[in-house]
Amino acid sequence: MSKQDGSDRQVSDDAVDSSTATILHVDLDSFFASVELLDRPDLVNRPVVVAGNSMRSVVTAANYPARKFGVRSAIPLSQALRLCPHAVVLPPHREKYTYYSRKVMAIFDDMTPLVERLGIDEAFLDVAGARGLLGSPAEIGRAIRQRVHDETRLTCSVGAASVKFVAKIASGRAKPDGLLVVPADRTLEFLHPLPVSQLRGVGAATEESLTSRGLRTIGDVAALGLPALQRAVGLAAGHKLHELANGRDPRRVTPGVAEKSAGHEVTFEVDVTDAEVLRRELLRQADAVAVRLRAGGWVGRTVVLKLRYSDFTTITRSRTIAEPTDLGRRIYEEVRSIYDGLGAHRSVRLIGVRVEQLSAKGDERASLWDDDAEWRLAEQAIDGVAEKFGRGSLRPASLIRPAGNLVNKGRLGDARQKPRAGD
Amino acid sequence: MKFQVNRDVFSEAVSFAVKLLPQRTTLPILSGVLIEASDAALTLSSFDYEVSAQTSIAADIQESGRVLVSGRLLADIASRLPNAPITMTTEGSRVTVSCGTANFTLLSMPVEEYPNLPQVSEQSGILSAEDFAAAVSQVAVAASRDDVTPVITGVQLEVSAGSLSLVATDRYRVAVRGIAWDSAGSDVDAATALVPARTLQEIGKTFGHSGSISVSIARSDERELIAFQSEKRTVTSLLIKGNFPPVRRLFPEIVDNFAVMNTAELVEAVRRVSLVLEREAALRFSFSVDGVKLEAVGSEQAQASESIDAFLTGGDMVVSLKPQFLLDGIGAVRTEFVRISFTKTDNPNKPGPVMITSQTSKDQAGADDYRYLLQPNLLLR
Repeated sequence: MSKQDGSDRQVSDDAVDSSTATILHVDLDSFFASVELLDRPDLVNRPVVVAGNSMRSVVTAANYPARKFGVRSAIPLSQALRLCPHAVVLPPHREKYTYYSRKVMAIFDDMTPLVERLGIDEAFLDVAGARGLLGSPAEIGRAIRQRVHDETRLTCSVGAASVKFVAKIASGRAKPDGLLVVPADRTLEFLHPLPVSQLRGVGAATEESLTSRGLRTIGDVAALGLPALQRAVGLAAGHKLHELANGRDPRRVTPGVAEKSAGHEVTFEVDVTDAEVLRRELLRQADAVAVRLRAGGWVGRTVVLKLRYSDFTTITRSRTIAEPTDLGRRIYEEVRSIYDGLGAHRSVRLIGVRVEQLSAKGDERASLWDDDAEWRLAEQAIDGVAEKFGRGSLRPASLIRPAGNLVNKGRLGDARQKPRAGD
Repeated sequence: MKFQVNRDVFSEAVSFAVKLLPQRTTLPILSGVLIEASDAALTLSSFDYEVSAQTSIAADIQESGRVLVSGRLLADIASRLPNAPITMTTEGSRVTVSCGTANFTLLSMPVEEYPNLPQVSEQSGILSAEDFAAAVSQVAVAASRDDVTPVITGVQLEVSAGSLSLVATDRYRVAVRGIAWDSAGSDVDAATALVPARTLQEIGKTFGHSGSISVSIARSDERELIAFQSEKRTVTSLLIKGNFPPVRRLFPEIVDNFAVMNTAELVEAVRRVSLVLEREAALRFSFSVDGVKLEAVGSEQAQASESIDAFLTGGDMVVSLKPQFLLDGIGAVRTEFVRISFTKTDNPNKPGPVMITSQTSKDQAGADDYRYLLQPNLLLR
């Protein structure tokens, strides 16, 4: 894994031939922390962490001087201050992040219509068609970096490559404030020395399984050959890894059309009649939808419940709420109230939660009070923990079930908490 | 049924009776106006199960009776009739309206299916019509128009200790004003009623010049009803169910940072500068000892700014306000000057609300207790 503090930074010089590296990945450098520092230029060279003002908060972002002490996003603030006692703690201002994100995305839109937004602070750009007008990909990358800096005083890093995942790795290697071009014919030379964990889809478990076979670098994986790799990690994952290790990634840059809805649904393996089980599933899905909304910087105004009964009749019921939300608790309360209002239920085959009428977060008007203020804080904290420990490490108590019970996936009904000693 | 009536009196009565009828109704008979002729009076009524309106006028009744005809059509006809006495007669299901040289024949609707109007309970108190109309127009503008949250589409009326206060909010602003309440021998000196803002606005307009208004609040068994009566006119409305949010606590207790401006100058400047703003965008106000500077930023094609006099007490302040919301508040201040007060907040993601109050001179606060609280937008550099 990259050290995240810029100590192993790798950038291209001006002479690099970028004509084949037409996919750019642009990523703002420690975005939240950098935005906060715009108002506190005096702190730029000091370690700064962005976090809520309670010692139980988690770190939302850290600037590079703080990262040198091992401070990372999503670690508890108390731990961050143990690692770096003289760090300055600044409170987060989420509306400002949305504002700057939009300014930066507008710069990308000026370069090419093929912009695929990833969350609030990064995007893929396909600049193949822009070369005639704006110059080589490296020149476009430099122009983007210049304009972002001129118009926002923020810095970003750009990776340019012939395929998406390599561009993304390259921008990570160029951080902070750098540009790294990986021409098509040097893709393998760039990839192969990197650790396997840099490949998309290689999590802790796959990495463990690969390293236990002595496969430490991407080059090792490429050299192994497809059949052996598939024996090691399975057919589908093996095929995917083989493609990536050889620098192949067929995904195209797909402009992020404004999302119209975000939803989840599940078909039970065995139809469910227990209302409590269904409500728990609604809670789980509401949370999952809310996580997606927050990740994309959206809020939604209409909440939809979908039910398919055992006889395949399907109903959807929607409700519009007063203020657009990205909170799982609000979404859950609405779908649950719709569900409870439906009266007696037959047995349910499929249940789903969707949020529609999405708009960009930060567009909503400032209101005098917030009915969901406490839940908002709670869910922001959960997001912080999830960034560090993965989704699911913190969840509503009613969704906890014994570890290892994966057999009945999709059937939460079988998950009952066992009474523990002392209960 | 047969009667003769003065054209202006009739036209005014019909227009009062149909004014509160909904534009669309599921039951056609509810779009009707009920005309009842008996003894020496003509009574016109409308009712849609939520709101009722009733008025009595003098008429020369030749034959008593009841008839139900389309309210809007009758109102349109009555307002266009020539200046001559109107004669209305019924023959079976046909209603004939004759006036000078004009004749109309209308089909009557089944009067026996028309619901009974709600009974008005005992009087709870008396209001000055003029004060009430003014207070409604100042406060109702802040009520929400979004049916998603019905409870804030109403104006909350609160009676306590000789005063009636009106409160409305749409989450972005809160308007409050109190007027004198004369409990007039009734034992009602504490009550609340949440009345649809639209209905209240019509009542304010219709009753504004009638001297005094008698109010009845009935919160018994299933019915929650308010009635307003003045002269020979009565309007009743069902109350909105639910608890009005506790918005009064949002108002600051102590204000030591505020600016006083000439009301007309501020209105003019806000209207001018906001011309360049895009929809939903906010104006930036920078208050200092030198005055207040208004800036319209955020639009690519055009910017604008203007500075006007302001008398500042306390420290410099910068706030970002939606122009229409600000104008709704300033427009409700009926004094030559207006005071904008700033409140402090600990939340970095949310500026403290600003409060608008009246001010008769640059040093003298206004006599009324109208207060308008507005949430500023977050300041983006």
